[in-house]
Amino acid sequence: MNRRDERLIDVARALFAIGLALAAVALALALLGFAPGPALSALARGSLGSSAALTATVLKSTPLLLTGLGVALCFRCGVWNIGAEGQLLVGALCATAVATRFLTDAPAGVLLPAVVAAGALGGFAVGAIAGALRASRGVSEVISTILLNFVAIQLVALAVHGPLQEAAGAYPKSDPFPAAALLPAIGRWHLGIAIAALLAVATEGLLFRTAVGFRMRAVGLAPRAARFAGISPERIALFTLGLGGALAGLAGAFEVAGVTGQLYEGISPGHGYTAIAVALLAKLHPLAVIPSALFFGALEAGAGAMQREAGVPASVTQIVQGIAILVSATFAVAAGRRRGGMAAGAAADAVEETA
Amino acid sequence: MHSAAVSAVRLRGITKAFTRNVPVLRSVDFEIAAGEIHSLLGENGAGKSTLMNVLVGLVRPDAGTLVVAGEPVEFAAFGPARAARCGIGMVHQHSALVPAMTVVENFAFGDPDGALLFRPARSRSAVQALAERFDFEVPLDRRVEDLSVGERQRAEILRVLGRGARVLILDEPTSVLTPGEILRLFESLRRLREAGCSVVFISHKLGEVEEIADRVTILRRGRVAGVLDIAEADARTLGRKMLGRDFAPLERAGRPSVAAASEPPLLQLHGLSAPGATEASRLRGLELAVGAGEIVGVAGIDGNGQRELEEVLAGVRAPSAGGLRIRGEAVAPGARSLRAAGLAHLSGDRETSGLIAGFSLAENLILKGSYDDRRFFRRGCLDLAAARAAARDVAARYDVTPGDPDADIAVLSGGNAQKLTVARELDGDPEVLVAVNPVRGLDVGAARFVHERLIERRAAGAAILLISTELDEVTALSDRIVALVRGAFVPIPAGADRAEIGAILLGEARA
Amino acid sequence: MEALLEAAVRLAAPLLLAALGELIVERAGVVNIGVEGTMLTGAFVGFAAAVASDSAGLGVAAAAFAGCAVGALFAFFAIARGTDQIVVGMAVNLLAVGATGLAARALYAGATPSGPTLSSAALPFASDLPFVGPALFAHTPFVYAAFGLALVVGFALARTRAGLRLRAVGEVARAADAEGVSVARVRVSAIVLGSGLAGIAGAALSLAQSDTFTEGMTAGRGFIALAVVIFGRWSSSGVVLAALFFGLANALQFRAQAQGFDIPYPLFLMFPYVVTLTVLAFVAAHARAPADLGTPYHRER
Repeated sequence: MNRRDERLIDVARALFAIGLALAAVALALALLGFAPGPALSALARGSLGSSAALTATVLKSTPLLLTGLGVALCFRCGVWNIGAEGQLLVGALCATAVATRFLTDAPAGVLLPAVVAAGALGGFAVGAIAGALRASRGVSEVISTILLNFVAIQLVALAVHGPLQEAAGAYPKSDPFPAAALLPAIGRWHLGIAIAALLAVATEGLLFRTAVGFRMRAVGLAPRAARFAGISPERIALFTLGLGGALAGLAGAFEVAGVTGQLYEGISPGHGYTAIAVALLAKLHPLAVIPSALFFGALEAGAGAMQREAGVPASVTQIVQGIAILVSATFAVAAGRRRGGMAAGAAADAVEETA
Repeated sequence: MHSAAVSAVRLRGITKAFTRNVPVLRSVDFEIAAGEIHSLLGENGAGKSTLMNVLVGLVRPDAGTLVVAGEPVEFAAFGPARAARCGIGMVHQHSALVPAMTVVENFAFGDPDGALLFRPARSRSAVQALAERFDFEVPLDRRVEDLSVGERQRAEILRVLGRGARVLILDEPTSVLTPGEILRLFESLRRLREAGCSVVFISHKLGEVEEIADRVTILRRGRVAGVLDIAEADARTLGRKMLGRDFAPLERAGRPSVAAASEPPLLQLHGLSAPGATEASRLRGLELAVGAGEIVGVAGIDGNGQRELEEVLAGVRAPSAGGLRIRGEAVAPGARSLRAAGLAHLSGDRETSGLIAGFSLAENLILKGSYDDRRFFRRGCLDLAAARAAARDVAARYDVTPGDPDADIAVLSGGNAQKLTVARELDGDPEVLVAVNPVRGLDVGAARFVHERLIERRAAGAAILLISTELDEVTALSDRIVALVRGAFVPIPAGADRAEIGAILLGEARA
Repeated sequence: MEALLEAAVRLAAPLLLAALGELIVERAGVVNIGVEGTMLTGAFVGFAAAVASDSAGLGVAAAAFAGCAVGALFAFFAIARGTDQIVVGMAVNLLAVGATGLAARALYAGATPSGPTLSSAALPFASDLPFVGPALFAHTPFVYAAFGLALVVGFALARTRAGLRLRAVGEVARAADAEGVSVARVRVSAIVLGSGLAGIAGAALSLAQSDTFTEGMTAGRGFIALAVVIFGRWSSSGVVLAALFFGLANALQFRAQAQGFDIPYPLFLMFPYVVTLTVLAFVAAHARAPADLGTPYHRER
């Protein structure tokens, strides 16, 4: 079986996972007394049925692409980053602080890069906290990234009730961004979309074409063997969590500077959790994260239409995510077992006929 | 003499392959009589442990039959619990006790007749009665992690006996014991034989087998190479059957002209101490010098600091005092600085060999150079084309099959994977080489290949430190031998015979 | 003071129930981060069953059953199929959020009613004790159940065969297997049982702390329960103390809010999470986890 065949099988498995998830949702809807037919057609119309729908899909996909890339990088290195949500939120928060408080009057050439950089830095910092806790104190990043998500949610609440609250003071939200802090856009297609797509390519390059990416993959596959090759798993984990955080933080900056133009509570409907489904459905392959993010973006865009037109709650998207995660991760395990680990080679050796 | 006795257990035609087309056992017949001590002899990887795991229900064979005390037993419904009910019990090489629990708790958790409640006092007196019945001395109230190796082993044997075992399997029980403890173990085994129990004694040490066994079955590469009464077997016969054929001794090239003695040795350990996993494996002030064109062997039994010494020499364990000098220069601890100083590390252990399943041949070949090897990593970028070309070249020169540079290393046999590590570590013609159990798990031919490469390096003037738990390997290859016993070096006098060396390794004699 | 202690005990109860469940699971060597979703499912099913039957007691039973069912789902993927435990846990959390949200809309169409609750029952005599009486002995049955179960779990782990087997599987699965203990059976049982407790913990939220179900009402308590187990160093007594600590932190937060201190409320809401992170940074490094925690077990066949 050559590599192209393996790719095709991967794609087929991903499509099967999606199909199974959608079928399960249709069944659940039928059982709960909703009409699945109209619901699914509203889902399709709302995500693909018009140019406005397509735009909504792409806009929803962009943060999923960036957070999905961050999660995929981390999972590749054996780092269980569940914290993309918090990293995204802090990124949005930092971007907003720069745009509406610190550099409000700066020209676009200065302000916009500063806003974007602040987002990436904010996410980086949150990821690096988890990385440092793991490297220096042995705290499982699973727990720390989850807890940091809740801290980040409250940080955003704190900001929009306090220091970043709009001048009018009426609602818990920030001032609108000055025009110079907004991402250039054609229609609603902002520049962040293109950057996100480029970053997917760049991440693929990082992982497979650079020394750092080589070390990251080595640590993810066998941390102890990597240590004997002079690679420090702790440092790689710290670096990867920081990088994954920066990607998620960028997603937050693009949301406030490209889509909403201001910060408010609930700015992320759980993008950072969906990112796990995005990364796993893509089999942790950066380029494959693009179609995977588009699928889940379409699901979220369509779910809005489904709720409006067919009265079906948008929470079905989480059901699809959950099932897609289970099915694709379970496939990966089965495939790994068939391939066999080093143990298979060791057993082969016991009676090798070379003597 | 014992073959006429009632058979306690009979295995017929046992065949097992973990991976397709690579059988570990091929139609093996094995029979144990009641009341005999039966030795199962074979090299590493001959299939001894797998065969015994079949007998205790941990491994299900692909074909074959089992008869216990005259009753046929179906493998389909045969697991560890069933094996215990059939009176078959095994003490594995790796302890099957739970270190965080006390001895009494370890006896209780798997007790098949166990009541709902665990009553510590009642269980304790039951274990005590058992210990007295078999005359085993085991501390009952301490956690297993606080026991000595010998105490753990006695506890395990006692637990198996307490489950009603009539057939007791011991997997290389002496490898971790001192000679005193071995004598004690043998006494216990003889008492068990008197009581009508059967004992399977797995070993690859001929002397022990001759001393304790009544009968011996020899396995070679998954097949039975012979079944003999010990009375009619001598060490030569056993050795020949175990190894298959006589190999000509390795020819060591003549000693190269060693540089003037005034030059600093290529590799030097000075006052090297390091923390250890256990008290016995802590490194204590090691002093050693290895000169150009010299192989220095470090003999010893696992758990005496072998692993710790390897980790220090590979740069993944920091010394607590002292350190390494290469060509007289102190080297900072760390895998990268050691590599940069010209030290290569060749290991036969999967974990420490720096081979990564899931990485291709090419990726594994360049693994250690990710910080400094300009052939494959330049300006932070990975030159995969160069890596693949190098892998193709290495595969051809070292006869690695399959030689596809993109193939996952996991599909390679251990021998072929080891050829790749040999190529990786030796291709830069390192001046200093640390080889640790370099042929562990390899068949005879592959082992010979690796040994010849070491001798080549020695002839080329490299300093080689060979750490191995196989005494034969150390004596065959080394110019000088030291023993690593309880984390300290003990010199072995030139011309010492095996018995003397053995005594030193086991910490009984101080030369 | 008395009221503060009362609130701490009351708020600790759901955490304690969920953490005891997770303790059972982790002592068997499995990490279930789906405890959050399991709690949420318990909260919803418990509430829905209580409304339908007009009996809070039946609601609790239904919540326990729902928890077990979610646990069985987790066990199917994580143990039987060998899928990564963290991944399955996250999937369970997402599924629970989606399914409870969908079902709540389907049943109540956006107008969730109030349901029956388990009211507080003062223990005779004990509740008359000065100071501690009202604080400790005038609670809902959930509170008594949580602290009672802590004793039961502690006893079961130390003094029953099942407890010994569970610990052996969590410490050295291979050794347990060699002794004829079925690793998969022990782990699946532990997961189902522990998830049942998480389900009851959810019911404690929707049938005692409030009288209704709101989407996502667990609000991370399941994750805090994971931290409670680590903070409690994998012992039942430690888990009780850790749960009380978080209950107290939470009670202090409510108290400070009620007293109208001039501190923004998100700071209070953030408090337990920051405390948890800080505590983990100082505890985790030298805490003693079961040796085989999170390690799947496959016997070579």
